[in-house]
Amino acid sequence: MSTTQSITIPSSKMKSFLSGALAVMPLTIAVIPWGILAGSFALEIGLTAIESQAMSAIIFAGSAQLVALGMIKAGIGIGSILITTLLITSRHLLYAMAMRSQISPLPLKWRLGLGFLLTDELFAISNQAHSGDMASQHQFDRWYALGGGLTFYIGWNIATFLGIVAGQSIDNLGELGLDFAIAATFIAIVVPTVKKPSILVCVLVSLTLAVVCAVFAIQAGLLIAAISGMAAGMAYAKLTNEGAATDTPCA
Amino acid sequence: MTWLIIISMAAVVFVSRHLLLEPKIPIRLSKNTLTFLSYSAPAVLTAILAPIVFVPEGELSISLYNPYLTCALVATVLAYVTRNTLLTTVLSMGLFFFLYSP
Repeated sequence: MSTTQSITIPSSKMKSFLSGALAVMPLTIAVIPWGILAGSFALEIGLTAIESQAMSAIIFAGSAQLVALGMIKAGIGIGSILITTLLITSRHLLYAMAMRSQISPLPLKWRLGLGFLLTDELFAISNQAHSGDMASQHQFDRWYALGGGLTFYIGWNIATFLGIVAGQSIDNLGELGLDFAIAATFIAIVVPTVKKPSILVCVLVSLTLAVVCAVFAIQAGLLIAAISGMAAGMAYAKLTNEGAATDTPCA
Repeated sequence: MTWLIIISMAAVVFVSRHLLLEPKIPIRLSKNTLTFLSYSAPAVLTAILAPIVFVPEGELSISLYNPYLTCALVATVLAYVTRNTLLTTVLSMGLFFFLYSP
């Protein structure tokens, strides 16, 4: 009995790890141009190659990295950068909240590891596994999550490295239009989440204000737009009693 | 200074991801806070992508000659119809580079 277990468990761990890696592959491929942009843009505004790579290796948050780089370029202080980072990253509080029941019983090393790897993409594939596979609906697989999270981490860092290498040899890499990759990835993530009218209101308010602020070059535009969008979505839901009518859990 | 920014940003990001996974944190976020947070992903991601699409050269460009805008519209339709991330990103980026390169 014990020998069979010691043979079968590692192979099922490996299987879960690999299926997690496979599940995150489309998102990893989609993020490559964006990682290249993160690496080359960091070099362009004057970071060293090691600092540029460290952003992806230590912070590991694409949108926060790119927005912070833009702020560093504009000469904005560290306080504003950190407040903006907090706002951009605040959605992870919600992801952690949603996965709390599954991850918090795990040993510390797993909590730290999966916490570090918790991105939009890892959250997306973890939820896919839940809705797609009825049998394992309530069974969170730590190896699946690790496979997905680690694959995405490695992919992001390789892409950043490519950007650093390319940025050193090609001028004006930022003008190749790689920033469209950010827009395309976020559209692909946001559109399927618009399941309620209040989310549509939130997106439209955020979009309008972000564009207005960009036109007038208002530096706190991201903060203003995102917080207003969140407030508008919530107000709409309250006013129309949306939550009571269509109470769909988000996870 | 750059290292200070990198390390303090890393701390902010890691804490936001890890904090609520800790069983010792006795969290009881109010229902209102949770509802508010549930809008953060669409709001933040939209606030980042909208200026890229509508204000590509620092000026408002609502025109079919703006490849960012046309390709973003294509991506939106693809995402809505297919719900497939890879298809949406690869096809819209392919179209973008086709239109963008001279």
